Amino acid sequence: MIAVAWALFAVLIGCGLVMRFGRGLTALEPRWAAALLVFGSGAAAGIGLTSILFFLCRMAAPGIPRLGMFLEITIFGWLVFEISRQRKTSTPDATAKALFVPWLMGAAFLAFAIVTAGMTVAWDANPQGNWDAWAIWNLRARFLVEGNLPQRAWSALLTETHPEYPLLISGAVARCWAYAGSLTEAAPIATSYLFFLSLLAMVTGGVAVYRGRTLGLLAGLALLGAPTVMHEAGFAQYADVPLACYMMGATMLILLDRPLLAGLFAGLAMWTKDDGTQFVAIFLVAIAVLRRERFAQVAMGAIPGVVVALIFKIALSPRTSMYLMGGPKAMLQRVVDGRFWQISGAFAHEIGALGFGWYHPILPLLALAIGLSFERERRRDWLFAATIPCAMLAGYFSVFLISPFPLKWHLESSLNRLLVQLWPCFVLATFVGLSRLERTVIQAPAAPVKARKKSRTS
Amino acid sequence: MLPEFSLRNKFGAAAAAVLSLWGVIEYYGFERDFHQHRDPYKIVAQFVRFEGLRAAVPGDAVLGYLSGEEPGSELAQAMFNAAQYNLAPRLLQKDKALDWTVGNFARPVDFAAVGRQYGLRVERDLGNGVILYRKEQRP
Repeated sequence: MIAVAWALFAVLIGCGLVMRFGRGLTALEPRWAAALLVFGSGAAAGIGLTSILFFLCRMAAPGIPRLGMFLEITIFGWLVFEISRQRKTSTPDATAKALFVPWLMGAAFLAFAIVTAGMTVAWDANPQGNWDAWAIWNLRARFLVEGNLPQRAWSALLTETHPEYPLLISGAVARCWAYAGSLTEAAPIATSYLFFLSLLAMVTGGVAVYRGRTLGLLAGLALLGAPTVMHEAGFAQYADVPLACYMMGATMLILLDRPLLAGLFAGLAMWTKDDGTQFVAIFLVAIAVLRRERFAQVAMGAIPGVVVALIFKIALSPRTSMYLMGGPKAMLQRVVDGRFWQISGAFAHEIGALGFGWYHPILPLLALAIGLSFERERRRDWLFAATIPCAMLAGYFSVFLISPFPLKWHLESSLNRLLVQLWPCFVLATFVGLSRLERTVIQAPAAPVKARKKSRTS
Repeated sequence: MLPEFSLRNKFGAAAAAVLSLWGVIEYYGFERDFHQHRDPYKIVAQFVRFEGLRAAVPGDAVLGYLSGEEPGSELAQAMFNAAQYNLAPRLLQKDKALDWTVGNFARPVDFAAVGRQYGLRVERDLGNGVILYRKEQRP
């Protein structure tokens, strides 16, 4: 339980940071959506930043594993002081009528309860998570937390466990273990569940603020109705759902005009998984093209995650990418060896396999697209939100084209998780373009004073 | 004046909600059925198997690793990764005989004979197929 408490303390710090630097995120309407947004972005930011702090402290002072804890408590105290000094502002809620809000809230709570129940079943059966959870992420967390040799987490001797992978998840788990003083399996479970909550809260709260309450609740429901994503979030304990959380969060926060936070999320994506590097590149290009005026702030926000990831990759991590193996000639040979159709077939198959039985998570989105249709005025935002996952998908396709690994094995072992990473971004892109299901109440205009007088006299 | 929503809008929203709930129920059913695959790699059981080794070898050690399983097989990989996870922060070097070497066997074999092939002698038999080997000192 102490490890879980430390995971929650990271969330508290993150929420404090978002409240302090989120440029009025708390004052958005509706209030419940703003609260979800603060919690969601705070949880992801807090877990990511405290993980970085823990990693840096372990590097700087390996003999003092709890150094980061004292720094965190100091930062938390400062945040409490800063927030208590802030003046509370709130935008009055425009009177609006929204469709089915109480019903959808009930449905969302019910869906959330069922999903959480499903996850507890998975944790009970496999508390250690799936293969990569214990063989990669939590193994490296053990190296980070135990003894005075944290650099073993990226030792070249770890040939089976990708010592070159970034360390946000391992750092977050190791931090909870170190501060709690025990290697309880509750720490990785809590970390993965908090990322799921963060993702859900940002999708629901963000869309509710941006496109109205009905669409916000439907977005949350659509995400909960993606069984493969939920299975990865609960059972696997991998880094794919945290990465999905950072990618979707960065896109959402740009749409809400919070560029500094959006940049922070993009940077943290790079420190979560190698795929995050591709995301940072695509995100920055998309910002440079479609939101040029926000580029500097986004780039500034990305600094913590990007700098730590670069230091790790350049100075610490033992290997360079195997994808460039054999040089340009061998890569070109791999591209033209007829694997295009094999990869296309695998993509089509895995997209189909996102559903279970007769159900596919695209069905709720199709129902909404037919029932609501898309708004033309939202084209620019929709283009931004949809370009990012589409470009990511194209990037993944290219990676498979040059993959030096046995292609069948590579596709089977990773493609479904890559789609899980991108599914929340596709859900967001759909909801950004949909017509609002919220209408501002039209007040009956008061009769002009002169006209009233005239009518009395006549 | 309250604007109304069209029937199409209402149907779309209601259908999306119901379909999402269907997905949620499918997910729960899957996890319930998946529940029978409890700890397929026996990670929890390995904590007990390697307890003696953890107590016998210091945390900063780099150990060799031997296994009776066919190299590259899924079982051999699972056994090695599970051993590495349980023995961290000690580092294991796969299929290599160092001064101190871990033997990790899934079935009974002549542990001493396996060790001799690599110039190792059995230092301690920790039970359940876990052996601590030591390199033979050459005169």
